[in-house]
Amino acid sequence: MDPVLTARIAKPGSRGIDGYVADGGYGAWKKVLSEGWTPERLTEEVKKSGLRGRGGAGFPTGVKWGFIPKDTKGKPVYLLCNADESEPGTFKDRLLMEKDPHQVVEGVILSAYAIKCRDAYIYIRGEFYDGARILEAAVAEAYAQGFLGEKILGSAYSLDLTVHRGAGAYICGEETGLIESLEGKRGQPRIKPPFPAVSGVFGAPTIVNNVETLACVVHIVNRGAEWFAKIGRNEKNTGPKLYCLSGQVNRPGVYEAALGLQLKDLIFGDAYGGGMKDGRKVKAVIPGGASANMLTAAEIEDCPLDFDGVAAKGSMLGSAAIIVMNEDTCIVDAARNLSKFFSHESCGQCTPCREGTPWLHKVLDRIEEGAGRPEDIALLERICNQMANGMTICVFADAAIAGPLSSVKKFADEYRHHVENKRCLVGPRAEAAAVTV
Amino acid sequence: MSANPEPPKAPAPPPPPAKDTFTVIFDGRPVEVPKNLNLIDAAKLAGVEIPHFCYHPRLSVVGQCRMCLVEIEGMPKIQAACTTPLKDGLSVKTTTEKVRSSRAATMEFLLINHPLDCPICDQAGECTLQDNSFGYGQQLSEYDEAKRQYPTFDRTPIGPNVIADMTRCIQCTRCIRFCQEIAGTSELTFLDRGGRTLVWTHDGGPLANEWSACAADVCPVGALTVRQFRFRSRVWYLQKTPSICPGCNIGCNNSIEARENVVYRFLPRLNPDVNDYWLCDHGRFLSESLNLRDVSKATWREAGAVRDLPVPAAVDRIAAEIRGAIETKGAASIFFLGSAHLSNEENFLLRKLADHLACPNRDVVVDRGKPRKIKSQKGWITGEEAAPNFRGAREMGLTPGRGGYGLEAVLSGKSAPDVVIAADAEFGAAADDPAAVAALRKAKFLAVAARRSNALTRAADVVLPAASLAEKDGTFTNLQGRAQKFERAFLSKPPVRAHWELLLLLAAALGWGDPDWTPAELRARIAEEVPGYGDRPESELDGGRLLKKGDFAWKGAL
Repeated sequence: MDPVLTARIAKPGSRGIDGYVADGGYGAWKKVLSEGWTPERLTEEVKKSGLRGRGGAGFPTGVKWGFIPKDTKGKPVYLLCNADESEPGTFKDRLLMEKDPHQVVEGVILSAYAIKCRDAYIYIRGEFYDGARILEAAVAEAYAQGFLGEKILGSAYSLDLTVHRGAGAYICGEETGLIESLEGKRGQPRIKPPFPAVSGVFGAPTIVNNVETLACVVHIVNRGAEWFAKIGRNEKNTGPKLYCLSGQVNRPGVYEAALGLQLKDLIFGDAYGGGMKDGRKVKAVIPGGASANMLTAAEIEDCPLDFDGVAAKGSMLGSAAIIVMNEDTCIVDAARNLSKFFSHESCGQCTPCREGTPWLHKVLDRIEEGAGRPEDIALLERICNQMANGMTICVFADAAIAGPLSSVKKFADEYRHHVENKRCLVGPRAEAAAVTV
Repeated sequence: MSANPEPPKAPAPPPPPAKDTFTVIFDGRPVEVPKNLNLIDAAKLAGVEIPHFCYHPRLSVVGQCRMCLVEIEGMPKIQAACTTPLKDGLSVKTTTEKVRSSRAATMEFLLINHPLDCPICDQAGECTLQDNSFGYGQQLSEYDEAKRQYPTFDRTPIGPNVIADMTRCIQCTRCIRFCQEIAGTSELTFLDRGGRTLVWTHDGGPLANEWSACAADVCPVGALTVRQFRFRSRVWYLQKTPSICPGCNIGCNNSIEARENVVYRFLPRLNPDVNDYWLCDHGRFLSESLNLRDVSKATWREAGAVRDLPVPAAVDRIAAEIRGAIETKGAASIFFLGSAHLSNEENFLLRKLADHLACPNRDVVVDRGKPRKIKSQKGWITGEEAAPNFRGAREMGLTPGRGGYGLEAVLSGKSAPDVVIAADAEFGAAADDPAAVAALRKAKFLAVAARRSNALTRAADVVLPAASLAEKDGTFTNLQGRAQKFERAFLSKPPVRAHWELLLLLAAALGWGDPDWTPAELRARIAEEVPGYGDRPESELDGGRLLKKGDFAWKGAL
């Protein structure tokens, strides 16, 4: 597949609007306006393309847009571009924003048009300082050239776009946490229902879409829903996809491929990861960011990297952050590291998550440091099981237990080795003397 | 004989048109509940207890403590009851194994970092965490790590009346929401996040709104405690008595919490039409003043000497002075002064006595106070009088009769009574004003009933020892016209007597009334004689419901 989303990123001056326009940029937006597309037609086109949200949940984008009530009772409709990309292992949106920001801006404009939005926001994570600066410059250029603002390109449609920087919290990537944060409040997920499409930011109907999702809309308009739908493994998993490959592979990075790329191809393919570093073996793979269940080496056989393919393996594609761990990785240490992240990032409003995530981290830390007890393994499972599945307002807790719980189940021997021998089975500390506590 | 332990599932009756109730099925039992209720309150009406911490009927629903978990038919996952909208046919299961284990899980999580310092915690005994732990938790936990500490955020005053101890906090945010949504002052907030989350003031400034102690009331644990009450008594020793706040003319419903004739605190008593769940700090901390007394026997001043004497003898002497004045100068030479701090019954008695003696000179006054505000369910109420019962005292007839005069005429020197009977030495600020006292003292004879000495008692010829609000019962009529009953928390120590008892003694000595009348009988007479008091619903006479700190899970307390 020829690159679609990443076609321009390597070009010199890929950020500027002149180069973007020279490459046919804002053509989709001009096409929609000059051909007189109605918002409904645009939505229909996106529905037909089969585009599913690239942020993690994989919800069909056109269907989501359709949840905006027909009668909004005089309330405005908002589009929020979720650029909070904070899932560990994920760095695809950053690439799009920093290297081809106008593609993102055009995607936002088209999608805003589709949902009849007058004011749109790009909520970008606080740590993306460069990204925010680049996007702000791009938005200013788009205003200057008349792609944004009042009565765009002579049409009756007006749109304002604001780049809003977050303050640095993972939970603000959750759409209702993002909404709270955008409203100037503490970033805490809201109770649903009501869903954002009915009552979102400022109490108005709101659509939250991921950066990559919105970028895809540009190409759906340019090249048609049918073209888009033909890319991908099957009709439920369509379009180009950015994969974030990290871990002990030869060439980590962002790779674009048709949705449904085989996980093994991504790791070993010459066009992608180029195999494991130093020829070590794969031990475990996290296929969808820190929130996804780990897969064992056996499970990565025939694992198409799309929403349904990874789900069939008992994990999820999530943000398509593929983290590869080799045979020298201590799995307990990996789980400990994940649990530390989630313990640090829990917003703290729900009891099971606020109290459970640090507890998980403490127990994993104890095991890793050689102070584990045989009963800790059952304890870990119990803590995990009583945190998730409706115990909390949002799915953060479900994400927080994914790494620890899947590793305990799939690498039970290694955990047992830890608690029995008070040290790692593999890795730099495997040979270290037992720690006495 | 049936082995099926489940209650029979009666089919829901067909809904009548436009009914304002839903049929909600609790554990298989259909119950009609009002549409506008939260599921937790609907369950309460149905007699089903759903344990909770963060839910409060007057605060926004946040669904974050995760204690009120229930199963909802048709939903695969466990649900928080407080965030589940009511609808017709909603089927709620509260007794399944999943519900039991989920609640136990939440309890375990809440307790792993809780200090369990109940033996030194003021909240013990009225602690929702204790109650829910007992009801829904498990005895043991596998948590074996160090408990969270909050150096500098434990046992620290965060305002004039509230002490915060974050080690005990369960992050329910009730206090934050109280300050934001009821007080409207938003002093409190969450700081940090995750397991490090704590409640504090935004900028380290004080929690000093007019209702700050309510933040401690709504706290279900001992994280926020009331400074004045800290370490003073275990709550289970305290007897609750329904009462009315004496702080202003709003007449907030409160309860006196007392032990061995000592008042320890006031707590709000739920009355949605008046103070709802709240009390202002000013009124709340008047509780302490009920314990103050330095007039505990009857005294008689004669030729510059003050002598003690029994109350009946003192009353007889007052009666003799009154009779003497009537004989020499007529009833118009007497002035009766009621009080906005006395009950309707007492002011009624005083006025009736004046009527009996055909004395038109009677009055009651009230001081303007700092405006006090309280948020009823219908909106803010402002009380601007510094006494609870001016309206009632006036309605009992304490205004100058035909040809009579009032206090103003006496103080200005326009009228000069020979005998002044002040039923309450603390009738207002004038009682401590030297000029006013001197004007009253111009009378040949001045008698007062008092609990605390002041300029007026020091000037009086006879002082009778009178009961405090905690030591008697009666009614106050608030600014809305609501006659609200307060009850006696404990008996006064003889020879101290309630003002109405003293007035009945005096009336008897003057040949009127019946010394065996009780406040209830006086209320019946008021109902007969005073316009507007006859058809009062019992609910107004006894409107409030008892609350305990932190816990509002009282049946019907919606």
